[in-house]
Amino acid sequence: MSTETQSKGSSGAEEKSGEVLLQVKDLRTHFRGDEGIAKAVDGVNYSVLAGETLGIVGESGCGKSVTALSILGLVPMPPGFNAGGEILFRGENLLEVDERRLREIRGNDISMIFQEPMTALNPVFTVGNQIMETVMLHQGMDKMAAHQHAIRMLEKVGIPSPEQRVDEYPHQLSGGMRQRVMIAMAMACSPSLLIADEPTTALDVTIQAQVLELISELQKREGMSVLLITHDLGVVAQTADHVAVMYAGKVVEYGSVETIFGKPCHPYTIGLFHSLPDLAPPGVRLSTIEGIVPSAFRFPSGCRFRTRCPLASDRCAEIEPTLERFGDQAGHTVACHHLEEAEKL
Amino acid sequence: MTESTTAPTSTAPLIEVEGLRKYFPIRKGVFSRHVGNVKAVDGLSFTVGRQETLSLVGESGCGKTTAGRTLLRLLEPTAGRASYRAEPDTEAIELFDLSRRQMREYRTDLQIIFQDPYSSLNPRKTAGGIVGEALRVHGLATGQELEDRVAELLVRVGLRADAFNRFPHEFSGGQRQRIGIARALALEPRFIVCDEAVSALDVSIQAQVINLLKDLQEERGLSFLFIAHDLSVVKYLSDRIAVMYLGRIVELATAAELFSNPRHPYTKALLSAVPRPDPKLRQERIPLTGDVPSPMNPPPGCHFAPRCPVAEKRCHEAYPETVKVTATHEAACHLVE
Repeated sequence: MSTETQSKGSSGAEEKSGEVLLQVKDLRTHFRGDEGIAKAVDGVNYSVLAGETLGIVGESGCGKSVTALSILGLVPMPPGFNAGGEILFRGENLLEVDERRLREIRGNDISMIFQEPMTALNPVFTVGNQIMETVMLHQGMDKMAAHQHAIRMLEKVGIPSPEQRVDEYPHQLSGGMRQRVMIAMAMACSPSLLIADEPTTALDVTIQAQVLELISELQKREGMSVLLITHDLGVVAQTADHVAVMYAGKVVEYGSVETIFGKPCHPYTIGLFHSLPDLAPPGVRLSTIEGIVPSAFRFPSGCRFRTRCPLASDRCAEIEPTLERFGDQAGHTVACHHLEEAEKL
Repeated sequence: MTESTTAPTSTAPLIEVEGLRKYFPIRKGVFSRHVGNVKAVDGLSFTVGRQETLSLVGESGCGKTTAGRTLLRLLEPTAGRASYRAEPDTEAIELFDLSRRQMREYRTDLQIIFQDPYSSLNPRKTAGGIVGEALRVHGLATGQELEDRVAELLVRVGLRADAFNRFPHEFSGGQRQRIGIARALALEPRFIVCDEAVSALDVSIQAQVINLLKDLQEERGLSFLFIAHDLSVVKYLSDRIAVMYLGRIVELATAAELFSNPRHPYTKALLSAVPRPDPKLRQERIPLTGDVPSPMNPPPGCHFAPRCPVAEKRCHEAYPETVKVTATHEAACHLVE
């Protein structure tokens, strides 16, 4: 498979695991709307290390998907616009490169799988065609070679009788199969970073388990990094190495999966865990986070969680907390003024 | 009320379903020839007790939603019976024998909450109009009384009274689901089918709505048929759980028994597939290969046999009888002794 190795020549040296592959620095992606400016992503910071899975968790509207779309330059502009920050991929700021360079990276070095495989696949092309498109574009394979490659990819993602399936259309496949095809497409050029936006949310649990296993298997074999965006804390616990918790356009807590699940510190993260019916004994009332997520047009001043936070004080309204090192766990950062009190929650 | 012919016992359940079937015919060609059936629900039997929550769980296409809708006759049943007994000592009403007009009377007692809080509310009506509609249609309240009752309901489900004059698009998903709940409560029902009522909500909002449903159940003595795919929600909410696969119940038990001692291989696989929010727990998953087969031509024998890790020869030949494991636990599997 000489084609696979030669094509990566342009992107520089392979990272050793543990090195920073992608760094998002103070990213701000805003949208112009009827009611003013929606600050969907407003100062997000995180890094993805080579070979690891970073889980981004948060509820609808927290900006987790917009961050991912920003990385690939897929945010529709207008109404969206970049209001600051950097996205460094192997040191190259993706917000500054031109569309041609971005196209080189997209699908080749960084690829993405989406939540809804039916809408993300093109219904008028066979699945084989859709996989072939990326390798023909990025790796200059001819049609025959690409077709063979597509069959190999389908086999890799566990689709039975791939020689037949390669010529079928998306509607002939089940939901789980479609998601496998999406993964095959995303993996076709052996990317270094796979962005998976709610990859299993539309799937049944038994199928979800198969797909998650497939992703982590491929990850181990190919040594790629995964940016996993999900609202499902169970999925994150089972697959991520590090976790970033987002609320209202910001990361409020970041740490290793053991730290975040073992000893969450931000009142929002704590509240999120307390709301999980998995962890509550039957008959005991679930504790909840009062109120609803504020609108991106009207985030509160200071700490954005203060309107729902049991610990909020005047200081929270005046000064916005930043991510600071906390506790004895290396790499654990939290944005909160009341961490001592939060330990008692 | 007339006396019942059979002596009712105090344990007489609120809802009793026997052999419920719902087939959707498949038609083909210019003459719409009937070429087969999709057996969406294929012989369900269960009861729902007073102030009890029975959950129907299973993956997409297992027939759980169809079962709930057919029970309320939002879809007409193909076969089977369902009886409703308002009080332990009143006569049982055969729901499937009622005419459409007669059924309407009982709709005040039997209600439904839908999954999607976006498509299940009329966007042209205010929250007050949506919640008050049933009261008006059934002639139960008018004018100021109607308004007061609706406002009271809106407040009860955790909305502000000024929600009355606002339209659905002005509310968040969680708030819309509260409107759906208020609408279901308006007629003071005894029984509510909750069809994936919390599935579309974020965790923190989901917890609020679950608490609300539990409070209302206690306050009003409600019974729920809770239809869901999320096992952690079901475990927390249910008294008993029925696991469905391809139109049939494969296992039915109390929530505690089902989670501590699942007997059907499908239940075991399903439980093992749920990702637990605990990174220290490296889960041992029971791998299931393949997809759910089509309900158009289910495999012969046990429907689950083609995906079952422990299937034997007999599993491919005959559908297993339902076996009682304990008084409150049954499973349909050849390998359960």
